[in-house]
Amino acid sequence: MAVRAVIVGNGVAGIEAARTLQSARPDAQISIVSEESDHFFSRTALMYVLSGQMRYRDIEPHSRALYSELGVERVRKRALGIEGRTLLLEGAPALPFDVLLLACGSSPRPPPWPGSGLRGIGHFVTLQDLEWLEGEVHGRSGADRPPRAELLSRDPGSPYRARPRGAGKALAPIVIGGGLIGIEVIETLLAAKRKPRFVIKDRWFWPVALDARESGWVAEALRAHGVEVDLGVEVERFVDDGTGAVGRAVIGGKEVPCDLAVVAIGVVPNVAWLGPSGPRIAGGGIAVDTGLETSIQGVFAAGDCASVPSADGGEPRPEQLWYTARDQGRIAGKRMAGLAATYARGTWYNSAKLMDIEYTTVGHVPPSHRPSEGLTDVFHEEKGRVRSTTRLVLENDRVVGFNALGRRWDHSVIAEWIEAKKDLGFVRANLRKAAFDTELVPPLEW
Amino acid sequence: MYLQAQEGLMSTYRQGWRRRDVFAWILAIGFLSFYLTLYYTDFFTPFAVALGLRNKWYLYGAIYSLVMIGGGAYYLKHHGSSRYNRVRITVNVAVQVLLAFTLPFVMTMLGEKEHYFSYLWPLKIEYMYPQTLATLPVYMVAYSIAASFVVMPILTIRYGKRWYCSWICGCGALANTLGDPWRHLADKSDRAWSVEKVTVHTVMVLAVVTTALVAWNWRWGGSMPALSAFVFKLQEVYGFVVGAILAGIVGVAVYPVLGARIWCRYFCPMAAMLGLIQKLGRFRVAVKPDMCISCGNCSTYCEMGIDVRAYAQNNQSFTRASCVGCGMCAHVCPRGVLKLDNGGAASAKRPGRLPIVD
Repeated sequence: MAVRAVIVGNGVAGIEAARTLQSARPDAQISIVSEESDHFFSRTALMYVLSGQMRYRDIEPHSRALYSELGVERVRKRALGIEGRTLLLEGAPALPFDVLLLACGSSPRPPPWPGSGLRGIGHFVTLQDLEWLEGEVHGRSGADRPPRAELLSRDPGSPYRARPRGAGKALAPIVIGGGLIGIEVIETLLAAKRKPRFVIKDRWFWPVALDARESGWVAEALRAHGVEVDLGVEVERFVDDGTGAVGRAVIGGKEVPCDLAVVAIGVVPNVAWLGPSGPRIAGGGIAVDTGLETSIQGVFAAGDCASVPSADGGEPRPEQLWYTARDQGRIAGKRMAGLAATYARGTWYNSAKLMDIEYTTVGHVPPSHRPSEGLTDVFHEEKGRVRSTTRLVLENDRVVGFNALGRRWDHSVIAEWIEAKKDLGFVRANLRKAAFDTELVPPLEW
Repeated sequence: MYLQAQEGLMSTYRQGWRRRDVFAWILAIGFLSFYLTLYYTDFFTPFAVALGLRNKWYLYGAIYSLVMIGGGAYYLKHHGSSRYNRVRITVNVAVQVLLAFTLPFVMTMLGEKEHYFSYLWPLKIEYMYPQTLATLPVYMVAYSIAASFVVMPILTIRYGKRWYCSWICGCGALANTLGDPWRHLADKSDRAWSVEKVTVHTVMVLAVVTTALVAWNWRWGGSMPALSAFVFKLQEVYGFVVGAILAGIVGVAVYPVLGARIWCRYFCPMAAMLGLIQKLGRFRVAVKPDMCISCGNCSTYCEMGIDVRAYAQNNQSFTRASCVGCGMCAHVCPRGVLKLDNGGAASAKRPGRLPIVD
């Protein structure tokens, strides 16, 4: 009999799982449950829709015919929990399953400060956040937006709820949280000709990925665009403007005007809905084994919501990256098809663009704001025709990590060196082989 | 200092004239009217004479040069953070201003017959008509033949068609200057790709057949008057439909509503020929494995309507016949996944590093 598979989540983990499962078991009956959207979209590209660089349809990575081509049934409902071998849904009969994948992602971490419930305070993680922020910054006019018919939930606790449309002013916007979402919102506000304030509680931007030297360059780029960068300060409270909307914010003991606050202080796995009868939780996410199976047999988890076993034997924790979600989704798809597969994340890598500064990281680069376990690094700064920084993290003489700004690198080449335990001399001598700059860019001199 | 490399693109869809609003249509009708007036009336002749430019075509050449310089400045302002973009657009505009306007103008001043060194057969089909060749000095005949049959294939094998379409050609230069604000309007659908393959290769075959028949007619036409009359007609129709209507009038008038490379993509016989050679050559768009986040910037800003993301998210380096190597996909990628190169082995699908243990 055909396997009945239910996937909770229409993001990259869910879609990759459905594609993998369908190709391994073409007869599988697959349902994708999503509260957020009818179609899979690239969450990492939401900022480009807000800025006006792309339309919403442009950030959908596949043709909308994908679901019918895969024979996948879509269920636009809120999942409420697991009961036996069924998934409970809001306002619909429970869905029976033989195998279930929880790829339900994460939600923005809620702001802990007094006044956080005022209008004009929100996040930038979901499709509904895009809709809300679009209204706050641009009002009714502007670029193509996701059609409102796609918005579903009115539950005040849901990150996917529809919200009242803003006035399109955002004359004194504040972005809170020194990470990737924060800087993306800053960029979209700059594109909308606003001068945002960037409030970061750490001493420099994104300390988990950048050291003070690297981050200093990013702060310089932000300030050159007129961003007020507040480092090492905390938000204390928001103040009502008299209409139920935010009017001012108290930050580091100072009261500043604020008619829009975007809170980007991290995300937390969506696990609360599973309740006590759900699978075991660990490290904030759904605990899985190396085959991505949860404590309930036949129930798998992948992506932002899953706590995967740590490679170094430490606490299981979620790996909240596009790439890990994609890879985990593919493994989970194989498992749901009844095939053996093991997730063992290889060498870490990531990239981003911080304003106009390219960023690539490979391997083990310890968070710069905490003491690092006996590691050293060599750092090179280039300020010629190209501006760049290159940092190699060393354990004795062996290169274990790579952190670079300003140039493009092929992470796969560097990952091979790290896995082959190459030393500093080798990596320095061969670094050009990993260069991935666009043509005519002069090579790095080091 | 830029917001992102693509700072110049961030407000694309916030500008109505760049997303087919009424003003875009008015602009398109304006361009169309301008070309119809230029081609089929003498309206511009008195202005040309008053400016000492002899005839309306030199006046057009002057306007064309100025528009390209202005559009080149727009391009640099928006995409100038990439060195490839800077060098490419500067060379392309300079080639056009010098070889497509200044040099022909000076040649006629010196009593020579004008010659556009930047145009080659089959784009300028009459450059291989025997009757044209017969009137040219030997060095120009040698130039035309060598450029079309020796230099063109060699450079295309080595560097792809971009050496011509994005560094030399006037249609490309106008598309990337005047037309650049509308590059995202290129149709990315599979249907458009199917249509493009049929139309562009049809025009290419027509260009070759027309050239061959015109040559035959020149040498032997006298013996078969009926066929000779047909060849005259074909030559005339090709010149009118392809040379004037498609390349000149439609090609530019549709910029604000369909994007800037309509002529290059659907109709240019030179682009079709270069594209076939490109498929055999070393040029490719290299894809770095596993780093694509499927954001869609590359596909959105491809002026030839290539769905670059479909390859990138599949870890697949590729060569598409239509790719003119403008470099914008690589430029706008926020994760540095794409790179134009001349390294060959285009079809290689790089294995991802997904750690699956079966």
